[in-house]
Amino acid sequence: MVAIIDYGLGNLASVQKALSFLKIDNKITANHDEIKNSDFILLPGVGSFAHGMQNLKEKGLDVLLTDEVIGKKKKFLGICLGMQLIAETGTEPFVSPGLGWIKGTVNKIETTNLRIPHMGWNTIETVNQSYLTEFNQKDFYFIHSYHFVPDNQRMIAAYVNYETNLVAAIQHDNIFATQFHPEKSQTAGLALLKHYFESC
Amino acid sequence: MLKTRVIPILTFNGIGLVKTKQFSNPRMVGNPVQAARVYNQRGVDELVFIDIYASEQNRKINLKLVSEVIKECYMPVAIGGGISTIDDITNLLKIGADKVVIKTKALTDPDFIKKAVSIFGSQCITISVDAIAHHNNYKIYNRQGIDLSLNEFTNSMMACEVGELIVNSVDNDGMMNGYNFELINTVLKNTNLPVIAVGGGGEMAHYKQLMTETKIEAVGSSSIFHFTQFTPRDIKNELKQINVPVRL
Repeated sequence: MVAIIDYGLGNLASVQKALSFLKIDNKITANHDEIKNSDFILLPGVGSFAHGMQNLKEKGLDVLLTDEVIGKKKKFLGICLGMQLIAETGTEPFVSPGLGWIKGTVNKIETTNLRIPHMGWNTIETVNQSYLTEFNQKDFYFIHSYHFVPDNQRMIAAYVNYETNLVAAIQHDNIFATQFHPEKSQTAGLALLKHYFESC
Repeated sequence: MLKTRVIPILTFNGIGLVKTKQFSNPRMVGNPVQAARVYNQRGVDELVFIDIYASEQNRKINLKLVSEVIKECYMPVAIGGGISTIDDITNLLKIGADKVVIKTKALTDPDFIKKAVSIFGSQCITISVDAIAHHNNYKIYNRQGIDLSLNEFTNSMMACEVGELIVNSVDNDGMMNGYNFELINTVLKNTNLPVIAVGGGGEMAHYKQLMTETKIEAVGSSSIFHFTQFTPRDIKNELKQINVPVRL
């Protein structure tokens, strides 16, 4: 069972709809026992970094998720803010600590000519071997103003170009996370989710 | 490379889909759930669904119906109509909306927009900017009697850090005679936010003209899909010919 973490932020319904369409057993939950008994943890989320961390803490989920993902090495999928929150440090709207599973910082996207937020369909370029490898050069839906800069480049699974190369996905051990929204990326997105859950 | 989005705009009157001309004379054009299903099958980039009479008629949007529309969609969906409380937004997000579209409340209470952005994030809040030509300039069209220029309104929304603007030309709405480039360029010059240009698309040439006359990266349309045989994909095929990046 996939535990879709309910921390009061984000498009839980969209994520659930995609998993249910793929007939993947899932539950939206903040219940600690249910999360402990799950096979996968999926952290979705849209909203601000500091707000996201605060909500996780209020439900004791920061400690629980760290136990499960770092301690017990449970499979983890982070989407959008759910990817950013695994960083050591966020800057939205002020500098604050994240879950700290992956060393690095989440910074505001800086462009000279392009519009912020980075919103719409954009092509990913895969690097290193990952769940995304066969999705090289596919279009996925992005909607974000901040981006994750991990210290270790070997953890980067894909880039997306928006004036500069931004990190589109990260993979390290049992952690896989995408800045884009596979659950909103139609055929390509559903294919990625299917591929991920089948190969795990 | 970021793709130029082609977005069907579904306008709803509380009962069925309608299409207006210059924001008047709504004409019934079909069933919203069926329309959403067809657009999902056609792989459109995004969908916008707005109950255009909710604020005026002091109604809340029909959540049950919106939920059925969203169920058909595996692409991003923006929903608008009569949004005036934080709970309204929460309720829409809960049933799977990705963004909400707000107009009337943004005109009467910009502080509400600021609050919504702080709770849901910029990316969630799209503002509908309905502009009408007035003495060599543009005003914000509304039925509440609020006197606001286009730039005053977009500046105020930028200050609230909203995520996106849907810019609709009231004069061109439903006329199918081409987009208002001057209006679109005025907004693009004034803001760094993503903008969806709406109002006037009626034939393939109009979309090519819009792309050559402006630097717009998203276009919304309605009449052309209701009243001609053209689909969003036809428009994207056409745009590809002039090297506009599209997702096919």
